[in-house]
Amino acid sequence: MALLRSSFLRHPGAVAGALILIAILLMAIFAGILFPGDPWRMVARPNLPPFSPGHLFGTDMLGRDLAAGIAHGAQVTLLIALAVTMLAVAFGTAIGAVAGYFGGWVDDVAMRFTEFFQTIPSFLLTVVIVAIIAPSLTSIILAIAIVSWPQIARLVRAEVLSLVNQDFVRAARVGGLSSARIIWGHILPNVLSPVIVAASLMTATVILIESGISFLGLGNRDFVSWGYLLGTGRTAFRVNWWLSTIPGLAIFLTVLSLNLVGDGLNHWLNPRNSNRGGRA
Amino acid sequence: MIRHTGGLIFRALSTLLIVLVIAFFITRIAYRNPAVMLAPRNASQQAIDAIAHALRLNEPWYLQLWYYLYRGPDIQGAPMGIAHWPPALGYSFRKQTPVTDLILSKVPVTLSLALGAVVIWMTLSILLGVIAARRQGSWLDRLISGFAYVSLSVPTFLSGILISYFLFFQLSNYGIFWFPSSGYVPLTENPFEWARHLALPWLTLALAEIGIFQQLVRASMLEILGEDYIRTARAKGVPEWRVYYDHALKAALNPVITLGGLELAVIMGGAIVTETIFGLDGVGRLAINSALEGDFPVVIGTTIFAAVSFVLCTFAVDIITRWRDPASQS
Repeated sequence: MALLRSSFLRHPGAVAGALILIAILLMAIFAGILFPGDPWRMVARPNLPPFSPGHLFGTDMLGRDLAAGIAHGAQVTLLIALAVTMLAVAFGTAIGAVAGYFGGWVDDVAMRFTEFFQTIPSFLLTVVIVAIIAPSLTSIILAIAIVSWPQIARLVRAEVLSLVNQDFVRAARVGGLSSARIIWGHILPNVLSPVIVAASLMTATVILIESGISFLGLGNRDFVSWGYLLGTGRTAFRVNWWLSTIPGLAIFLTVLSLNLVGDGLNHWLNPRNSNRGGRA
Repeated sequence: MIRHTGGLIFRALSTLLIVLVIAFFITRIAYRNPAVMLAPRNASQQAIDAIAHALRLNEPWYLQLWYYLYRGPDIQGAPMGIAHWPPALGYSFRKQTPVTDLILSKVPVTLSLALGAVVIWMTLSILLGVIAARRQGSWLDRLISGFAYVSLSVPTFLSGILISYFLFFQLSNYGIFWFPSSGYVPLTENPFEWARHLALPWLTLALAEIGIFQQLVRASMLEILGEDYIRTARAKGVPEWRVYYDHALKAALNPVITLGGLELAVIMGGAIVTETIFGLDGVGRLAINSALEGDFPVVIGTTIFAAVSFVLCTFAVDIITRWRDPASQS
């Protein structure tokens, strides 16, 4: 408790962000217990305003409970965000580490390859991919991962470049370790902290992209995500504002807390460059 | 200088070529046959086959890619061949017009949207960033930082909906019609109406960008203010406001311009959500609609347009930074 209080005083934003994030995670994990059954079934009178008894966030035009939708939507949204981040970090780290470690033509080829994906705006590319291939959970995850990995690759490459010529790496090389073992066992552990920071900030971006896709009506209708709730509520905005505002606020809160946590991690893990603004 | 520029141009062209090939392969993984999507409802299998044949959809991918690169999908009487390459981003499957014409007709909307937004967010971010740097650690700095976090985290679709709700719908309830809800009026037709129609989309886009840019200006300013020449300027008795706005800000703007170019390119490629909310018929809408309709030459065309905007913005940033660099002026 004392620890919590002292860290809260030093980084109020990061701790507040972490608390919100934990609350949202718990809501997602226990969605099935909090709101059992299909969140997409009719449970009450349509268009109940928020704070109606039993229906905290009100109901939509078909009498579906919005709170249940938000809780179950959190599962989908967070699942997609986690899956994309893991894929992008794994792939980006692999490319970046190989490029930075071997240098030369390997580096050239890898960085040119990375460049192509950064030439097309990421949201446009994701939307086009999702619109063209069938919008399933897998295709959405893959599409967002395809546009997300380059920034990790660049970050890892830059970090690896600063490490390859250091003595401990040379020693490992002289010691006859294979390149794979040097990268995995000696270099990557030292690259971990900036990657963690970038991953937490990336999760925020992924949530924004995913909800943007669903908002445009391109998401998969079998899964209720926050963006989907917001998109369907938008047409009825003037009648029942809460249908799009509440999912929008849920997205906003999650992204905000991820940004706060990411910057807090940055201060904590990379104190050297933490005064250079949050986002690299 | 010439070698530098030549290298840049070669790199840019090769990048565009590969983007084209990537875009082509993305359309190849389509799960629906474009011929089915283009055919009228209840069309017979024969009619669908005929469409597929006319668009060469049944041929192997390398032939399709060759036709695309060499002449675009066949249209009777259209010019073909390498000599006519520039207008040949191909022809729209659906509208039978050159893709370049389709895209160019949407460019004024997107360009107006992007340029207006960039002016607004740059001005505000520089203003707020300098204020925050001057009063580092004060309540004002914290307030601005808090606002920056909100701006960084609020999804465009939420801010866009709220902006259009309060500044259009609620105002019009009170009989105030300052801002229309949607539509576009060309600048050449009526500059006032042009700005009035774009004001809310500009605000939406600018709001999303101010956060990161304000933080960048602030961080960059703080770094520069710690340098020796600033101390020298102060010691020489240069007024404090000139130290900030003349000496420090000039140097602090370089990273801001670089990121500004990249973000401008993103919006040029299509601010799809903003265009959707405010009913603007720009490049972004064209891209997503053609992707949904199976109009693949247009999809490839808009992707290339985005890449070209990116390359042009990078060039612009390069030129501006060189021009601003005192070392290059001697």
